[in-house]
Amino acid sequence: MATIEFRGINKKFGDETIIPEMNLKIDDGEFVALLGPSGCGKSTTLFMLAGIYLPTDGELLFDGARVNEVEARDRNVGIVFQSYALYPHMTVAKNIAFPLRFKKTPEAEINRRVKEAAELVRVGELLERRPEQLSGGQQQRVALARALVKDPALLLLDEPLSNLDATLRLAMRTEIKALQERLKVTTVLVTHDQIEATTMADRIVCMHAGKIEQIGTPDDLYKRPATRFVAEFVGSPPINTFQGAAADGVVELGGARLAISGGANGPVYVGLRPEHLFFADGGIPAKIVQHEPMGREILYVCDTPLGMVRILEAAATASQSIGSETHFGFDSAHSLVFESASENLIGNARVSAIESGS
Amino acid sequence: MPGNGTPAEGNNAQKHWNLLASKSRRNRRVKDASLFAFLIAASIPIIIPYFWLLTLAFSAGREGVDTRVLWPSIFILVPAVVLTWVWATIADTRRRAMTGWGVIWAVAIAVYAIFLGPELHLYNFRFLLNPDFNAAYTDIVAAKDNPGFSVTSFPSVWTAFWNSLFIAGVSTVIVIFAASLAGYYISRFQYRFRETSLAAMLVLHAFPTTVLLIPIFLVIWKIGLLDTLFGIVLVIVGIELPFAVFIMKGFFDAVPWEIEMSALTDGATRRQAFYKVVLPQVTNGMIAVSVFVFIRGWEEFIFVLTLLATNAKWTMSLYTFFVTEETNLGIDYGVVSAVAVFYIMPSFLLYTIAQKYLLQMSVGGIKG
Repeated sequence: MATIEFRGINKKFGDETIIPEMNLKIDDGEFVALLGPSGCGKSTTLFMLAGIYLPTDGELLFDGARVNEVEARDRNVGIVFQSYALYPHMTVAKNIAFPLRFKKTPEAEINRRVKEAAELVRVGELLERRPEQLSGGQQQRVALARALVKDPALLLLDEPLSNLDATLRLAMRTEIKALQERLKVTTVLVTHDQIEATTMADRIVCMHAGKIEQIGTPDDLYKRPATRFVAEFVGSPPINTFQGAAADGVVELGGARLAISGGANGPVYVGLRPEHLFFADGGIPAKIVQHEPMGREILYVCDTPLGMVRILEAAATASQSIGSETHFGFDSAHSLVFESASENLIGNARVSAIESGS
Repeated sequence: MPGNGTPAEGNNAQKHWNLLASKSRRNRRVKDASLFAFLIAASIPIIIPYFWLLTLAFSAGREGVDTRVLWPSIFILVPAVVLTWVWATIADTRRRAMTGWGVIWAVAIAVYAIFLGPELHLYNFRFLLNPDFNAAYTDIVAAKDNPGFSVTSFPSVWTAFWNSLFIAGVSTVIVIFAASLAGYYISRFQYRFRETSLAAMLVLHAFPTTVLLIPIFLVIWKIGLLDTLFGIVLVIVGIELPFAVFIMKGFFDAVPWEIEMSALTDGATRRQAFYKVVLPQVTNGMIAVSVFVFIRGWEEFIFVLTLLATNAKWTMSLYTFFVTEETNLGIDYGVVSAVAVFYIMPSFLLYTIAQKYLLQMSVGGIKG
């Protein structure tokens, strides 16, 4: 168990800067997710933690001690890859025992710990199998057991659920989370899947182009996204954003005029999540173009003066038919306003409908 | 749509589908038949020469080329091969195919044993025991003019056998060792001129090595390895290494990075990760490359002929060559065939055993 700190970490490959400067502190026993699209530097960060990549500059601290040059094998880090990376020529038992072979552990203790780790992830009866004889979910568990058997100071999960089918993913998510809470091992999860991040992590580090966009709880990221990127990346179906110009408490968005508060002035982005939009008798006119039933909800795509807008309706059957013309309103308290140039959230700015209907 | 209109319409539609189905069946049968016809035509010219060797080795006597056994044998063999392929098209289950083939070949062997069995003998294999295998004849001739003179200067065939084994074996060990390390390095590390060096390696393999005969002779002579087995080993290693490296690189490319990273975080050093985790993934490649290099060394002829002089250094290829050359009394086709059969046996065994690994060579892929 360890606290981790990135202090001004910079990583370059040749002339290409992957991570310009990274500052991040992870508490002991915390579950942190690095969330971002592919190529945002999250895997590079993970490999620096594992000791496979050397940071170009800055300091990486484990429990306050600099580990920049400490080799991967001396860091006591457990890692689970998307491909599981089990050793194909070894049985499950030998796979799990592999990390202990380098530590001069007595044979009896190796056996005991392999059994323990296997029981922990419920693969106890598969010990004599080979990886190719296991299902994806079982391989995943074995990989987890192998990462945990050495009592790692830090557990790294690299897209661990991406290769599993939907049902299994749900089950493993719960299981990994429960396991982490029980073992209290500091864990870093790398993922591009926001659901994985929001469901499992205590805190999410949202990354974009090598920079940290926001660090916060899943709730923070959803409700108060620090930047337009975070707002667009987190939330499913994705948020509607509109570009417009604000002046004198009014913002022009396409063909619509809305009231804006919080002293926003000049070019802005307005963000409205589909789930905060609703059909109403009055408001902004909308023509239904398409609807997608998603089980308990229905996602509508509507043609409006603001452009194409996604509206989510919490109902099993569609209330609007394709081609019908209606109006929609929105929940002003959940509206988000970003400054156009910096794309940063303007904290207390909100948009709302203009009362007198001008 | 059948079942959707009147019964008459439904019937018509069904007929239409039946017609299409029978057409497809016919096409499939024609395709199968032409494939097997091609296989028959292609396999017979390959099989017959080997069969010729085998038959002569076990049947020919000293009297010169003898077709008394050969033609009847071919009359038994060819129908058997044709029937084997024909049965392969007819049989619908694997088990039935196996039983059919069993019957065909049992009958063929029985017929062979009955009609030709008495003609077979092992006399042509006398060279295995007696290096002076022609003495019985040559001495008679030689002794007439030259009492006490023995014509043959042949070493024991086992000397040649061990020499060939040494050359092939040692070349294989060196090539596989160097190719594994080099292939791994090229697959995993980025360095200057990586692409260029890969391309250059393949070009090296594209040139006919015979053009290097004289330069290599001079080099080997200068470094004092002329007429040594190790000189031959060096030449074979030099010729075979580039391609072996390339093949091994392909196999290493197919081993995912994650496995290695996993081993590193599990506490292995880079070297331990290589030996314990990466190398076991490419054993098939190593076997395939070994077989190729071994057989290359086993059948090496032109460099052996050029670089070796004394007959104690003869290899199997030289031995076979000189058996056919030894024309004092005309070629003894029986012995020549027997030597050839003895010579190809190890290659044949090796190929048969290693076949499944050789087929995986293509898995190694070719990417830069």
